[in-house]
Amino acid sequence: MKKTIRTIGLALTLTAGLTGGAVADTIKVGVIAPFSGPFAIWGKQFQEAIKVYVAQHGNKAGEHTVEFIYKDSGGPKPDVAKSLAQELLIKDRVDYLAGFTFTPNALAVAPLINKAKKPAIIFNAATSMITTKSDYFARTGFTLWQVSVPMANWAWDQGIKTVVTAVSDYAPGRDAQNAFKVAFEKKGGKVIDAMQMALSTADFAPFMQQIKDKSPDAVFGFLPVGPPTFAFVKAYNENGLKDAGIKFLGTGETDETGLQALGDGAIGLTTAYHYSATHDSALNKEFTAKVSEMFPGSVTNLASVGAYDGTHLIYKMIEAAGADGAKAMEIAKGLAWESPRGPVSIDVTTRHITQNVYIRRVEKNDAGVLINKEFETVEAVPDLGLAK
Amino acid sequence: MNTVRTQPDPGNAIMRFLKKRIAVYALLIAISIAVFFLFPYDLGFLTRIIIMMIFVLSLDLILGFAGVATLGHAALYGTGAYMAGLFAVHISASPIVGLGVGALSGAVIAFISALILMRAHGLTLLMLTIAIAEVLKEIANKAQTLTGGADGLSGIVMAPIFGQIEFDFVGQTGYWYSFALLMIVLFFLHIITDSPFGLGLRGIKQSTARMRAIGAPVYWRLVAAYTVSGAIAGIAGALSAQITELVSLNVYDFSLSAEIVIMLILGGAGRLYGALLGTAVFLIVHHTAASVDPFNWLFIIGGLVLGVIFFLPGGLLSFPKKLGWVTTWFSKQPEETPR
Repeated sequence: MKKTIRTIGLALTLTAGLTGGAVADTIKVGVIAPFSGPFAIWGKQFQEAIKVYVAQHGNKAGEHTVEFIYKDSGGPKPDVAKSLAQELLIKDRVDYLAGFTFTPNALAVAPLINKAKKPAIIFNAATSMITTKSDYFARTGFTLWQVSVPMANWAWDQGIKTVVTAVSDYAPGRDAQNAFKVAFEKKGGKVIDAMQMALSTADFAPFMQQIKDKSPDAVFGFLPVGPPTFAFVKAYNENGLKDAGIKFLGTGETDETGLQALGDGAIGLTTAYHYSATHDSALNKEFTAKVSEMFPGSVTNLASVGAYDGTHLIYKMIEAAGADGAKAMEIAKGLAWESPRGPVSIDVTTRHITQNVYIRRVEKNDAGVLINKEFETVEAVPDLGLAK
Repeated sequence: MNTVRTQPDPGNAIMRFLKKRIAVYALLIAISIAVFFLFPYDLGFLTRIIIMMIFVLSLDLILGFAGVATLGHAALYGTGAYMAGLFAVHISASPIVGLGVGALSGAVIAFISALILMRAHGLTLLMLTIAIAEVLKEIANKAQTLTGGADGLSGIVMAPIFGQIEFDFVGQTGYWYSFALLMIVLFFLHIITDSPFGLGLRGIKQSTARMRAIGAPVYWRLVAAYTVSGAIAGIAGALSAQITELVSLNVYDFSLSAEIVIMLILGGAGRLYGALLGTAVFLIVHHTAASVDPFNWLFIIGGLVLGVIFFLPGGLLSFPKKLGWVTTWFSKQPEETPR
C-alpha cells in the first residue's frame, strides 16, 4: 500500500505543472491541429500562416490583444480533440477555437461550442455537413463538392463525354466521387466506372490497366495528399494512360507541399481547386513572400490559406464582438474580404466560405519549379454539398 | 508465509480479500477525490486517463497474466465503442445499458477471434491480432451509411445516468462515472486474478507444457481469459464513445493497440497497479510535454520509454526495488502484503 502511495505521489508531481491562469483584456484563440505524427505538416502550415498574419497585422484586433494557444491533436482522434477543446475552454478560457484538419475532430467539439457559445473556425475539415452540427461553426477551407462540381462542368465543356472515377475508399473520396458523378451526369456525360481503391494501396498499376481497357476520355481521381497521390500519378504515366489520350482530372492531388516530388511526370495534370501558391494577385505575392521570408523553405498551400483567412475572420470577429460568441457569429455571416486566393465571403446560411474555384494545369516555370498555373476561373462557388 | 492463492479457504476468503484490498481501494478513492479538487479544469483529460486505464487493465489480464502477446487489442475496444455508439444513436440513450452492449459486443468479438487466435503462437499470433483489428477497421470504413466511415459516427447524445445525473460541460459526471467503472473493473480483476482461474493463467504464462501436463485445458482457459478481456475492453470503448459522443475509425488504429502495450510495459505488466500507473504516467507525460512543446514532444515520450526499458525492465512499479530500498514491504509483490 505504501508503495502505491509513493507511485501515485509520482503521478501527482507530474500533474503539478498543469494549472494555469487567464490574463485580462486578452482574447485567446485555441488552435487544435496535428503538430506531431504523419499529419504534422497540417499544424506546421496552419501555424506559419497564423504567424505571418500576426506579423503583418500586429497582435491587436481593435482594442483586444489576440493570443494563440496551440494544442496537438495528432491524427483523426476525436476523443483527444474533444478533451483538448474542453481544456482550452474551461482552463485556458479561450473565446475562440480554430484549426481542425479532420472531420471527426471538428464534429467532436460541436456539443462543447454549442454549450459554451464560443465560435470554432474550421481551417480545413472538409465534409459539408459539419457546419450544420453547430451554429458556432464557420469554415474557411473548402469542401469536395465545391471543387469537384466545377471540375465536372469544365470537363464537359472541353468535350469530355466519358469518365472513369478512381477515388480512395474513405468518406472524402466517396464525397468527391458522388459530387463529380452528379454534376457530370447532369450535363449529359457518362461515368463508365466508379472505382474505390483502398487507402493503403501502394501499387495502382492494376487500376490503371482497368481504366485503360475502358478507354474513357478522362479519369477523375481523388486521393489524400502524400504518397498515395505520388504513386497514383506515377502509375498514370507509366501505364501509358497519358499517351492513350486519357486526361487526368483532379482536385488537390497537385498540392504545393508535394508537387516537386511528383517530378516532370506531373506536367499537364489538370485540377480544379480554390488556391494555388502562384495565384496572380498582389495580396498573394505579399503572403507567399512573407512566408518564405519568415520560414525559409516553406511553401503555401490550401492549409496555409485556410488558416490565413481563418485568422483574418477571427480578427474581424474579435474586433467587432470581443468575447461575445453569438454576436461574433453574426459578424462573420456575410463578411466579405479579399484573400490571397481571390475574393471570398462567408455564406449567411451555411457559414462556409464562398470562393472562386480555379482550373489549373501543372507547368514548369522559368526557374524550373513545378507550379499550378491557373487558367480559368469559376467565380463565387458556394458549398454545393448541402444543396445536393 | 503462505499466500491466499495457494491455500484457498472459502470461509474466510472474502474477509481476507477485503482486508487485503480495502486500504488500496480507499487510497484510490482518496486520490480521485484529491485530483478532482486539485485539477477541476482538467476533468476531460483525467477522464481520458481513466478510460485508458480500464483498457490497459483489460490488456494486462491477457498479456500480463496469461502472457499472450497481442498488438490488436483495439479490435475489442473499437467494437465496444461502435456498438455502444450505434446503440445510443438507434435504440436507447441510456448510458448503463450502453455499457452492457459495449461489454457484450467486446466479449463476443473476443470470443470469436480467440477461437482462431489461441491456436497460434509467437509471431503468427501477433500478425493475426493485427490483422483482425485491421479487418474490423476496414469494415467500419466500408459501412459508411452505418458508421459514418472516416467522418465518424456522430449523433450520440447520452441520457442522464439512472435518469438523474446529467453529463455536464465541465465533465464532472463523466469523471465520476468513469472512475466508478474503473473501481468495479479493478475489483472484478482482483477477484479473477486471485482465483484458481487467475493462477492457471499465470501457470500458462510460465509454462504451457507443464500446465497441459497437469491436465489444464490451456486453450479454453485462454479463450475464456481473452473473452473476459474483450468485455472489459468493450466497456472502455463504450465509455469513450459515451464521453466523446463520437466514434471514429481511430478506435481500431494499430497505434492505439501499440500505445497501450507501451503503457502496460511502462508500469509493469502482470500487475494490475502497474497498468494503472503506466497509463497515468504515459498520458500525463504525453499531455504535459505536448502542451509545453506541441511539436517535439515525441522525443520526451521516446526517452521515457527507452529509459524504463533499459533501467527498469520490470516497469515503473519495480522502481523502488531497483533503488535498493529493500524492506519487507517493498521487495514483495503488492499482492503479498502481510496480513
